[in-house]
Amino acid sequence: MLQATVPTAKEQNLWGGGRSPFNVSYGKIMIWFFLLSDALTFGALLISYGTRRFFSQVWPDANQVFKSFPFMGEANLPLLFVSLMTFILIMSSVTMVLAVHAGHYGDKKNVVKWLLWTIIGGIAFLACQAWEWTHLHGECNGLWGAFTDVATPVSSFAGFFDHHSAHVQAVIAAHPLVAMESTHQFFNFFFTITGFHGAHVTSGVIFNILILINVVNGTYEKRGHYEMVEKVGLYWHFVDLVWVFVFTCFYLL
Amino acid sequence: MSAHSNHKPSVQDLYEGDQSALYSGVMQHHSDVASTESKNQVKRIWKVFWILLVITVVEVFMGMFLSHSMPKALVNFFFLALTVLKAGYIVAVFMHLGDEIKGFILTVLIPLVLFVWFIIAFLADGGFWLHMNNQTPARQHIEKVQNEQKN
Repeated sequence: MLQATVPTAKEQNLWGGGRSPFNVSYGKIMIWFFLLSDALTFGALLISYGTRRFFSQVWPDANQVFKSFPFMGEANLPLLFVSLMTFILIMSSVTMVLAVHAGHYGDKKNVVKWLLWTIIGGIAFLACQAWEWTHLHGECNGLWGAFTDVATPVSSFAGFFDHHSAHVQAVIAAHPLVAMESTHQFFNFFFTITGFHGAHVTSGVIFNILILINVVNGTYEKRGHYEMVEKVGLYWHFVDLVWVFVFTCFYLL
Repeated sequence: MSAHSNHKPSVQDLYEGDQSALYSGVMQHHSDVASTESKNQVKRIWKVFWILLVITVVEVFMGMFLSHSMPKALVNFFFLALTVLKAGYIVAVFMHLGDEIKGFILTVLIPLVLFVWFIIAFLADGGFWLHMNNQTPARQHIEKVQNEQKN
């Protein structure tokens, strides 16, 4: 996938000084390094989720937890809503990269158009997440810290587990508190990780709005380049990238 | 509008001025948005969009219909492989890392090798903890008492 780069005589002199040896501006190198550190933060969160899951004899089944769709009542539609959210985020990544592309050509009109679509996509994603959180808030009777009371009836969390697996059902019947502890951990990690991701989407939308205002005002036209669109674009794509992993860890595995 | 400055950039320019002169290939500033090169770029972006969409549809299909009938390890292997593939497309094409020079690509990717150790070490520890927790005398004693209470 990565395009092979043939070293040229010019490239061999890159480290001779007087220019960026990476062919990348200072600001772009720094946003890449920031994203690396952010990747480690998200990695730590997702791996601690995985570790906690490996700790546990049973774990809630995504097909049972996430089976609702707005306005569809009790219909059993596993993964459908999160697929829509994933589609929205991928789509907004495409519109962002098209804005960056237009920026390379100094095409102000198209930068504005694609940035607007990206902002709309980001807001649509956040709206979906708000619905999902509201729905789960109802299911858990709260957000963080649900399912800690030992008097909680088994029926209130048994529905989150795989109905088809005899092993899982046997563990819930024999050790209901083990299943409740798993449910508690599952939702704590879910709200923490999707919350942290949602905060990234929110700040991404704000950055997009700020640079849109600058584009409209002609700030980048005067500066002679649209590199800021590219840098915010990198952040936006990273947010999409993190969602790819959140999607896999929470909804698929 | 071309942003290229023909004079050799000073060190000051490299940090504060128009840094577009530093770019190479598709990252450079161009003037003709209707050129074949530009159109090919846009075509590539949409192609990657369709690839990502198809991968996601395959993942959701597997999650909905195959995750309970196929061996769990195999399903998980497919999920992880498809996830890494998606991530690769996003980073290489959308984030244009594939268009940067090799030295920069390696600078960004090499630190991520940490994750190999990170994932193996922590998941192994989690699995070991579960094993110990199920085997300890204390746990067996608790279960014995619970069973006696039930009977």
